[in-house]
Amino acid sequence: MSHFSLKSLFGAVFLFFAFSFGLKAQDGAKLFKQNCAVCHALTDQKLTGPGLAGVFDRAPKGDWLKNWILNNEKLIKSGDAYANKIYNDYGKAAMTVFEGQLSGEDVDAILAYMKNPPPPPTSVTVTTGGPGDAQPVEKSGIDPLYLLLGAIVIIAIILGALRSVRQSLQNSYNRKVGKSEEPELTFWQEVKQWMGGHRRLVGVFVIIFLFMGMKSCWDACYDLGVYYDWETQKGYKPEQPIKFSHKLHAGDNEIACQYCHNSVEKSRHAGIPSVNVCMNCHKGIQTGPQYGETEIAKIYDAAGFNPKTGEYEKPENPIEWVKVHNLPDHVYFNHSQHVVVGKQECATCHGDLKKMTVAEQKNPLTMKWCIECHRTTEVAMEGNPYYDRLHKALKEKYKGQYDVKFTVEKIGGLECAKCHY
Amino acid sequence: MSKKYWKGLPELTESPEFLQSKNNEFAEPLPMEEFLSGEDANSKGTSRRDFLKVMGFSTAAVALAACETPVNKAIPYVVKPEEVTPGVANFYASTFYDGHDYASVLVKTREGRPIKIEGNDLSKVSQGGTSARVQSSVLSLYDGARLTGPLAKGNATTWKNIDDTLSKSLGTGNNVILSSTIISPSTKAVISEFIAKYPNTKHVTYDAVSYSALIQANKNVFGKSVISSYDFSKANTIVGVACDFLGTWISPIEFAKQYSKTRKVTRENLNMSKHYQFEATLSLTGANADERYMVKPSEFGKVIASLYNEVAAATGNSKVTDAKVSNPDATKAISKAAKELVENKGKSIVVCGFNDEGCQTLVNGINKMLENYGKTVDVELHSNLKQGNDKDFIELVADLNAGKVNTLMTYNCNPVYTAPASLKFEAAYKKALVKVSFAQSLDETAKLADYVCPDHNFLESWGDASPKRGHYSLQQPTINPIFAAPRYEGTRQFQDTILKWSGIKSDYLTYLQGYWNNNIFPLQGKFLDFASFWANTLHDGVLKVSVIKDAPVAPIAKDSAGNPILAGVASAINEIVGDTTQIQSEKTITPIAVTEVLPTPDYNKAASTATSMKSGSQFELVVYEKVGLGNGNQSNNPWLMELPDPISKVTWDNYITMSPIDVKALSLNEMLRQDIIGSIVDLTVNGTTIKAPVYPQPGQAPGTIGLAIGYGRSAETMKVAFGVGVNAYPFATLTNDNIVFASSSVTVAKTNEEHSFASTQIQHTIMGREEYLLREVSLNEYKSKDQEIWNPTALLPVHGGGKKHVDEIDLWDAHPRMNHKWGLTIDMTSCIGCAACVVACTAENNVHVVGKEEVAKTRDMHWLRIDRYYTSDMNKAKAHEEGVGVKQMYIEMENPSANPKVTFQPMMCQHCNHAPCETVCPVLATSHSTEGLNMMTYNRCIGTRYCANNCPFKVRRFNWFNYIENPDFADFNPAQQDLGRMVLNPDVVVRSRGVMEKCSMCQQRLQAGKLVAKKAGTPIVDGSIKTACQSACPTNAIMFGDLNDENAEITKWRQDDKNYLLLEEVGVKPTVSYLLKVRNQDEPIHNEEHAAAKPAHADDSHKEEKHS
Repeated sequence: MSHFSLKSLFGAVFLFFAFSFGLKAQDGAKLFKQNCAVCHALTDQKLTGPGLAGVFDRAPKGDWLKNWILNNEKLIKSGDAYANKIYNDYGKAAMTVFEGQLSGEDVDAILAYMKNPPPPPTSVTVTTGGPGDAQPVEKSGIDPLYLLLGAIVIIAIILGALRSVRQSLQNSYNRKVGKSEEPELTFWQEVKQWMGGHRRLVGVFVIIFLFMGMKSCWDACYDLGVYYDWETQKGYKPEQPIKFSHKLHAGDNEIACQYCHNSVEKSRHAGIPSVNVCMNCHKGIQTGPQYGETEIAKIYDAAGFNPKTGEYEKPENPIEWVKVHNLPDHVYFNHSQHVVVGKQECATCHGDLKKMTVAEQKNPLTMKWCIECHRTTEVAMEGNPYYDRLHKALKEKYKGQYDVKFTVEKIGGLECAKCHY
Repeated sequence: MSKKYWKGLPELTESPEFLQSKNNEFAEPLPMEEFLSGEDANSKGTSRRDFLKVMGFSTAAVALAACETPVNKAIPYVVKPEEVTPGVANFYASTFYDGHDYASVLVKTREGRPIKIEGNDLSKVSQGGTSARVQSSVLSLYDGARLTGPLAKGNATTWKNIDDTLSKSLGTGNNVILSSTIISPSTKAVISEFIAKYPNTKHVTYDAVSYSALIQANKNVFGKSVISSYDFSKANTIVGVACDFLGTWISPIEFAKQYSKTRKVTRENLNMSKHYQFEATLSLTGANADERYMVKPSEFGKVIASLYNEVAAATGNSKVTDAKVSNPDATKAISKAAKELVENKGKSIVVCGFNDEGCQTLVNGINKMLENYGKTVDVELHSNLKQGNDKDFIELVADLNAGKVNTLMTYNCNPVYTAPASLKFEAAYKKALVKVSFAQSLDETAKLADYVCPDHNFLESWGDASPKRGHYSLQQPTINPIFAAPRYEGTRQFQDTILKWSGIKSDYLTYLQGYWNNNIFPLQGKFLDFASFWANTLHDGVLKVSVIKDAPVAPIAKDSAGNPILAGVASAINEIVGDTTQIQSEKTITPIAVTEVLPTPDYNKAASTATSMKSGSQFELVVYEKVGLGNGNQSNNPWLMELPDPISKVTWDNYITMSPIDVKALSLNEMLRQDIIGSIVDLTVNGTTIKAPVYPQPGQAPGTIGLAIGYGRSAETMKVAFGVGVNAYPFATLTNDNIVFASSSVTVAKTNEEHSFASTQIQHTIMGREEYLLREVSLNEYKSKDQEIWNPTALLPVHGGGKKHVDEIDLWDAHPRMNHKWGLTIDMTSCIGCAACVVACTAENNVHVVGKEEVAKTRDMHWLRIDRYYTSDMNKAKAHEEGVGVKQMYIEMENPSANPKVTFQPMMCQHCNHAPCETVCPVLATSHSTEGLNMMTYNRCIGTRYCANNCPFKVRRFNWFNYIENPDFADFNPAQQDLGRMVLNPDVVVRSRGVMEKCSMCQQRLQAGKLVAKKAGTPIVDGSIKTACQSACPTNAIMFGDLNDENAEITKWRQDDKNYLLLEEVGVKPTVSYLLKVRNQDEPIHNEEHAAAKPAHADDSHKEEKHS
């Protein structure tokens, strides 16, 4: 992944985060999406910042827009009238300074893209998923299980009725022909009799029942939390309170993982985004491509946001996410160690979340799995002065040996107290 | 024909009992129900059948329970505060002050809850040091005994009701605010607001541990009613009389810092202060003194008077009438000390901790003759601590009895518990018409109060403090009030309550800022606008200003709406300091020219008062403060209760300390030879009799006994402290309107009852193993004698004759330490044994509190303990000289001297590079890291305890119980309480039953420190990683660092000629090393004979170790 930096700004109401990629690509559309679309729509729609339709007509001519994008603070401080007007109109919420993150050419590319925007989508969604991605809508009506149960009950009643009819018919026939009445058998006696006569059929049924029983046990175990790999929970895919799709956000919309999981480079926890991070975008984006307004409404409920008035006027209501990746308490795992120092991709451990509609544990997360990786992964020692002394010593130790990789194992990465304390 | 065998006569006779029982398989009903539900399950006998049944059941239960994977929920913030990153700790500068101790601190918070206290290096007062009480204060925040809302007549009520009721009654009569010393200038201003609103209000300051005689003495000699400040770092000669300045006196953290600076002896700096101590109980300070003499309380005055006369004679001043001190050694020492004091004029210090006006006046006189004022002692830059005035308090009691007090408000003090018995405070207290208490929990006073208005904990409060003239510090909340609406009625800060009652609309924070803007901001010149001044001071936590003018404590200017005025700063600056641009932030302090005429102190009168205390017929009692519990503010803190007393090593108790000589004379239990059963006696002081256990304390002056305050709490809600020990406060006496912690009308009578102590050390002496464990040298020997005599190299005899260094003969290969080689070194000369590190370790590493019963079974869990050793009258050289047999020698060696020298040795896992524990673990739960640490892996441990058995240092701790769930530990183990659990360090595992644990050298801190360096791409900066014990230490006695770093401070320490390893001969190659203790004493510690006999000992030791 390209170099990534994160800058936080403090807005009037909540934090705004902006992110940028030091991409060399001149792809205006991509740059716009990555840097601007979080706060600006190409239509009249006001998000955090103003909608950009007609911006070329209303903004001062010349390089003003470019200067503003690169360093709006400088422009405001220089006393530029229009800059100050915009700043004050938008509640003095600071816009990210892109100088240093975007080159002049990048900004030109963005401006070029803005001049020829794509035809506005029919809804206000930034991107819509393909029709194939749509999840089956929840079935309404009666659960098939209840139908089945109902049918069984009805059949049982009919069978019972038929049995007594048959018996009374038989008896009346017997009376007619002068035979003695059949002794009244209990239901179970009759069943036994019947089973004695149809052993093969019974055998087949018993086998089918056994299999069905085993299957339902298996399914029950699944529900109880004994998953495909019950020891490791690999494949754990719990239902979340909000049907959040990583595929839509990180995949289709290409939002960087760190935009939401923004403590991944600072802390042991990657961080489950707080609701205000969701609201950065969803203040504007009020309809989703798959569930419409229902799922996004849950964010508003959590934030106490009223989409009609655009105000935070209701009590806050934290979201209880279900943790997908669980490590035992006696393990210390630090995300920033692996992401910043070890330069690992998120996908190495978490799988390709860009393709997951429901987050799933893709790796076993066992100690064996950790150790296997530590045994094979080389430590990026070059260019990090912290490792200089160690690197020199290792080179000395393995002098003359070929194919020696300075893996995590070689620097003590398999020692107990590196993760257990 | 089948034979019939009888199982016994009953069957043959077919007795009715037999016939009845024949059909029962089990002779008696199985006690299953009882067994499974019984609380004493482990004490009951369990049959094999029961066992199998229980096991079968539990296996099934476990299998069933395992079917369901727990669903873990993660609940992120709705709006994440900008400064909080989950998983990353924030540190906030704040101030610890509880009316007794002061420290400027950094509070470590994780996800918004304080979990650890560190010292603030920027403070010029506490200088980054902490004490056990400061370290443990974070747990007091989560005390389950805290009140959740106001009470009226014992019932929960609302703040509105309280405000309404009291606003009616406050104006009707005389009000008194009774508080401990307030060092917050803004709080004093708040109180003056109240007095302005209700002019018939009096503010009385009363400290449980009184220093009023010192204030009077300063008034007598300098005309100033203040506590002087002291600077031990400039003193070459220190004389302390009954003054525990390293443990409890005035500002112990500050003094410990200063004191330790005079005791860092190296080859480059051979200067070391000389410390004489005269006292009755063996205090922490006495234990550190170079020369200590036992004196009865009735002779404290005589010691000071004699010292006065000796100094007066040498400096040409007039003498006073003195009396002879009965201890001849002490008399000699007084002359010697006086000589050295005079030689070090201006670089010496004499301090006295006895609350007697005469004594203190004479001590002032001595320091004055020695020209110490303005150098080591200062009344101008005085301390603001301990302003309590006993006379006012006594008058208050009289007023109460006379019915002159309408409303009595007690803030930060607990007089019903702490007042001397002779004042009969409780009865007087009940006579006040309206009694208001601001106590945080229902203490002895609050229990009797009509209204309890619980205050915030200091970690929830805004505030300021001025511990010393010219020094200010700020206090900021590090957590939202734990008890707050809507769940609780909530606590309310004292200042907010008083402001409200004074009719001021602004909250205390606004008031505080206004106060600082008007009064303290103008005192400095570094910042030109208040906002940046406030932000910076809040960030630093402290502010030092040049002393031109003290901040006033009068009400501050307010606008018509009653809000403090924040403007008008510029004029104030000009008024006070002139042109602001010229002023430096910290100017050199110019002593203020004293224009007023100094009073003429009457030293003769002082001497007669000082020597007037009657001697006791049987015993004299000294009421003292323990280093752990202090004045009892934090009695309910389980960390402090479980902290072994630095001297006696007893936990969860107070007791009568008595000289072993007296113990023998009274034929009480001498507690020798690993006996922990003590005798209970009837102690009668001034006609009041209580029962208390006796602990034989070497170093206790014969004819005296000591009893510690802070115990014997009778407040039931304080579950930890309730019923532990006895209350010693009532035994304080009133002498010349001062509360004196001594009494001479004391009798002790034997009873037949016994008391079991929970002590963490029952072996008091080193038993002739000084060379291997506890090396010491006198300063003269260190200067003159060869290192080989006092710090010999470890040589072992080898096959074929000759000796080799232990490093050369090794069973094991050396392990390369390519990256880091962590090391820890402890300077035993600097270590004063204050136990701040022990509590810091407990807080950092989630060490369990196990309670008295378990400690008594030697199952204490402290990862870091401080071994305290007494010297014995017997040693190998003496035995050799006098021809004492080996057996007799060792028997006598076990007895400490009557007045022993004391050595403290902090002892934690030594992280042996060839660790004996590692080789015996059958499951490799303990192994070695490439960074030189001995790692303990809890989840691998199966609890064989082989490692603990094989550890030569006995530092491994075993979890005998599930301390986090077992109800036996529910009352005091914080990990079991919803509130207490919040103090746990989330980076460290809370260990469960059946695993071994030990010092990890703060592995979590090492890993975090390494990660910071790795992320920044720099080598580790020396000093950037500190272990918890190191950062807590007030004397910089602990040094941690990377031994692979040639420039690291620890590498320098290792190269010091005082450096040695414990049990080096054994060849375990510890990672922890010690710098041996240097004593500034005249008698040599190593005589030549002993040195000559050394190789033989080395042989012995080697053999012993091999066999073991």
